[in-house]
Amino acid sequence: MSAQLWVSVVQIGCFFGLVALGYYLVLEGADFFNFALGPFAMFSGLTASWLMAQQGWPLGFAAVLGIAIAAVLAVVTEVALVRPIDARTGGGELPSLIAVVAVLFAVEQLAGTLFGRQLMPGRSWLPDTTLDLGFVTVDGQTLVLVACTLVSFTGVWVWMRKSKYGRILRAVGSNREAARTLGMPVGRVRLVAFALAGLVVGLAGQLFSAKAGVSFQSGFGWALSGFLALVIGGTGSVWAPLAGGLLLALAQTLVPYYLGSASLDYAVLAVAILFFALRPSGLFVRRVRV
Amino acid sequence: MTETTHDGPYLLEGTGLGKSYGGVHAVDDVSLRLSAGEVLGLIGPNGAGKTTLVDLLDGAQPADRGTLTIRGRRLGGPPSRRARAGLARTFQHPHLAHDLTVRENILLGAAAPKLAGVGGLIAGLVAGAFRPAGARFEGTLRRVAEALELGDLSRRCGDLTLGEQRLVEVARALAQEPSVLLLDEPFAGADSIGIGAISAAVRTVRAQGCGIILVDHNVDIVASLVDRVMLLRTGTVVFDGDPAECLASAEMQDVYFGTGGESVAP
Amino acid sequence: MSAVSVKESAGSFGWVRSAETARVLGTLVLTLGVIAWAGGDLFRQDLALLGATYALLALGMYLPFNLAGALSLAYSAYVAIGGYAVGLVATETGWPLPVAYLLGAVASAVLAVVLGFATRRLSGFYLAAVTLLFGVAFQSFLLDAKEITGGALGIGSIRPLTLFGGEVDRRSFIALTLLVVWIVAVAVDRVRRSPFGVALQSSRDVPAAVEAAGIGVPALRLTVLGAGAAIASVGGGLFTTANQTIGPDTFTLSLVMLAIFMPLLGGQGSAWGAVLGAVLVVELTFNLQIFERAGSLIFGIAVLAVLLIAPRGILGYAGQGARWLRGRLTRTGGTR
Repeated sequence: MSAQLWVSVVQIGCFFGLVALGYYLVLEGADFFNFALGPFAMFSGLTASWLMAQQGWPLGFAAVLGIAIAAVLAVVTEVALVRPIDARTGGGELPSLIAVVAVLFAVEQLAGTLFGRQLMPGRSWLPDTTLDLGFVTVDGQTLVLVACTLVSFTGVWVWMRKSKYGRILRAVGSNREAARTLGMPVGRVRLVAFALAGLVVGLAGQLFSAKAGVSFQSGFGWALSGFLALVIGGTGSVWAPLAGGLLLALAQTLVPYYLGSASLDYAVLAVAILFFALRPSGLFVRRVRV
Repeated sequence: MTETTHDGPYLLEGTGLGKSYGGVHAVDDVSLRLSAGEVLGLIGPNGAGKTTLVDLLDGAQPADRGTLTIRGRRLGGPPSRRARAGLARTFQHPHLAHDLTVRENILLGAAAPKLAGVGGLIAGLVAGAFRPAGARFEGTLRRVAEALELGDLSRRCGDLTLGEQRLVEVARALAQEPSVLLLDEPFAGADSIGIGAISAAVRTVRAQGCGIILVDHNVDIVASLVDRVMLLRTGTVVFDGDPAECLASAEMQDVYFGTGGESVAP
Repeated sequence: MSAVSVKESAGSFGWVRSAETARVLGTLVLTLGVIAWAGGDLFRQDLALLGATYALLALGMYLPFNLAGALSLAYSAYVAIGGYAVGLVATETGWPLPVAYLLGAVASAVLAVVLGFATRRLSGFYLAAVTLLFGVAFQSFLLDAKEITGGALGIGSIRPLTLFGGEVDRRSFIALTLLVVWIVAVAVDRVRRSPFGVALQSSRDVPAAVEAAGIGVPALRLTVLGAGAAIASVGGGLFTTANQTIGPDTFTLSLVMLAIFMPLLGGQGSAWGAVLGAVLVVELTFNLQIFERAGSLIFGIAVLAVLLIAPRGILGYAGQGARWLRGRLTRTGGTR
């Protein structure tokens, strides 16, 4: 395998890791998988691409607006949909799952209607920079992605340790009932977790659409990849999603390289079934962190 | 009547049953025998292991230790298999489908024997596609509904009071036409009419040769209804015998009023 | 139903029976209406065919998902199996096409049972994710196994159905397909109200009670997963016969998403809600799409609105209205 492929592994892995970080935050705060995070990332990327290509916006403004919209979508999902449905159904898993799938579909269609249904290119944040490491050259966009990933993970890590809401989020993630009994603002922390997840995946969508382009249907695959990355990494630590993302990217690059393209999907399915069948609850058991 | 010599195997016999959670013995080395036409009361304070013991008999939880037989044949596996061998139960917290009607919840019990096993399920699925609602079980439904004075069967179970839900659960268990009936606190939350209906139903099925295990806090009701009492405390049997003797026994005083147990008004 | 049981409960069952008859005949009239509407118009035939396929898919998912609460997302694979079974039987063998419907249904059911067994301990998000991955892997298989599936090109020039020695033309075939939908919907709705359906609905809310009554919940789930897959597969088979071609893009993963929403929109309280939902989806995403490309968006928003403010769906509210009206007219209690 050429060294250049490793650059690609790191790039894709960082992207998956960021989406998985979004899942992680919502999982800690609200105890469910927000599959709509993939489409939020798509919406962020597509908004910026459309603003730049069709409206002539500069990259900076377009990117900031795209990320902000992703966060707004995440917050609206929680306030207008997940919370009322949870309240009506008593917090069952299936209703929130269906609600999230409906959001996924609606956001996808909204993007398709607003921005058109074709693939749009993203724009690199550092188009003129490359880093030559001798055995391999790294393009500017990958450098930005890696840097933003490290900053995001470090930021969330510090936030969850130092800030009031971050610490409450960790407490809620460990034991929701206890947190509620202790009078912690569980609802507000949920909202913060959703918003933060929206920001993180919004950024991820910006950075990754420059590599592969983005279309209104990109979010579905991204959502699945992010979910897998989180499943592989686990929720034992803030950094686990990044490890999962890198592992998933490695597998996605290596398996087709050696075994052919369809084998990847078989391998993913087999691993998922084995993983879930053998460790039905083991993976998501959290250490008690007091 | 329990002291008579016994011909052949007991209806239900458990030997050395045990269940532990992380080193705590919820049920520890409990043996019990139930004859046909006998009502066995299972009493004891909260946490004594009554519901756990019912779960071990019914298979809702697998036992760590011990053996169980019904009419001398081994009884094991998931609850569905034990139900097919003749067991029926109610739950401490009623398990009813709230969106379905009283009639449909009882229908589950009445039709269950026909839906046993993969063959029964496929036959039930195919038959369901042709026959409108399960009219063939109407006789059973009517009989148990009248026995428990259930009234309007088209009410949603989610709209019932806790006491009414208990009646529906007992009706569902009776509709299975079991040979062993496990009732887990059937009187909790029931009003006097409900208590009367359940008591009468218990006497009726006992007369038909059903063996009944009755779990309750309410020692007065249990004493008036049962042939024999087992007193449980922290997972072990501390008294097994005549209800009147049990009420007067030192163990009873100790469990309910003494240092060992929490106080529960008899 | 036997005469004895009618006599036993003449009062309430007499009413139920007449309501059942009205339902069966009413939906038959509607189905015949759709057949007449489609007629010889090619575009309307396409819409009717698509609606019928969607309806069969949604009806297949209705038993395991809407009644038993197990959301499997592998249904795109089952529909595709039905389609490819027709393609393979038509091009590789001389067997009559109904054999293909049967083979496709059996293969789908077996696959669904195997997948259901492998995922028997999963529920909710995990079940959805694993079954979705199965759908993804199956799509890859369709592209990859070129000797069997024809790869990206798929299988074309599929011969039409022959019945009683004559070829069935497209118009008649679509009429047949719509009648199949009617039969399956009547059957599925009867299953819903049968003892089996009661056990199924109870297994969603109180699985312990179903077990305690003597019905193995895992076996119950596997049975409906198999039956549902078989129904969906028939939908794929009929669609493929009418279009005479099948490829890996014919039934995509997003189809399953639409199928989840159909009963929600139409109303989960009856199998006919799934059919109504399928009609609405076709109307919004294809018929209206031509004028304004926002049909899918309208559909998405409608689903969100139903989730939020009308969880019983359209038929649920219509039924409530009808019961209220009947209550006013007869001054007697309502019956399910």
